[in-house]
Amino acid sequence: MNTNQRSWISGNRWILALIAIPALVVAWWEFRPEKLFINKKVSEAAPFVASGEAQPVYTGVLEGKAHPTSGRATIYQSPDGKNYLRLSDFATSNGPDVHVVLLKANEKELALVAVTGELDKVELGSLKGNQGDQNYDLPAATDLNKYQTVAIYCERFHVIFATSQLEKF
Amino acid sequence: MVRGWKTVLTVAGLAVLGAVPSVAIAQDNMQSDSMKKDDAMQDSMKHDTMKRGDTEPDKNRKALFTGTFHGKVHSTSGRATVYQGAGGKRILRLTHFKTSNGPDVHVILVAARDVKDDANSLSGNVERIELGKLKGNEGDQNYELPENIDLGKFQTVSIYCERFNAVFGAAALAKF
Repeated sequence: MNTNQRSWISGNRWILALIAIPALVVAWWEFRPEKLFINKKVSEAAPFVASGEAQPVYTGVLEGKAHPTSGRATIYQSPDGKNYLRLSDFATSNGPDVHVVLLKANEKELALVAVTGELDKVELGSLKGNQGDQNYDLPAATDLNKYQTVAIYCERFHVIFATSQLEKF
Repeated sequence: MVRGWKTVLTVAGLAVLGAVPSVAIAQDNMQSDSMKKDDAMQDSMKHDTMKRGDTEPDKNRKALFTGTFHGKVHSTSGRATVYQGAGGKRILRLTHFKTSNGPDVHVILVAARDVKDDANSLSGNVERIELGKLKGNEGDQNYELPENIDLGKFQTVSIYCERFNAVFGAAALAKF
């Protein structure tokens, strides 16, 4: 029986090959397994780029912590190299002695409702208004690779109203 | 024996012919849709004016929506941003972008707030708009948006393998 089968295969191997090859081709075309290892990299220019205008470099959506807050925080870089933070579509609660600060993303105090220890922060100034679009200059030495969280912070009660995790634009 | 060869050739030929059109048909499932006007477009800078340099070639260029990619089945990262140019033409731009390479991968807009990371989370009922074949699995790239798409409705960009109905990654767009 075994020898019979083997002789049948060897006798019909060209026929079997003719069936197997198209089947393999179709399977390859469907799955394209080689693409698992081959990358296709592109690099198109930005559409409508206007030089001489401040460009967004980091952005994030504001999320309320102690108080409901909405809007977007974006860091722009001017052509002269200066950075500034812009809050847009912004709304939070009003409060006493509220500041805009930059924190490290892994700041432990961010997990707490009220800050108990010292905050490692970059002060950007008092909150100009609890609603509306507003800009804050960043100190020249600010390391944006380290301080990537914007926080709306009430100094008097050590409460973080809202935070925004900045990500590369 | 000669007849046997012919039969085999015919069967093999039919197998190829049968397989190819089914794949070709599978690529045509995308339908563009929705002709509503976009209200979200009328966003404007309100209180502070934007800081600007001296030269200003294209005052109307602006980013309308942006979001970052997430994707677990095929790890996907980067940012998707919708820009509007002077003529009102809108363009989707992917930056810092990276995903897996794969067969028949497309960029689509989905009428949903976000798309889950499950591979097959895009079931047939979700409305979608085809933006084109993914130009590359790495790097910055632009895709033109058809006119009159309501971006208040189509809020998610998805990298989608049509052949296997697999979501590589998705980015929920939020107002910029």
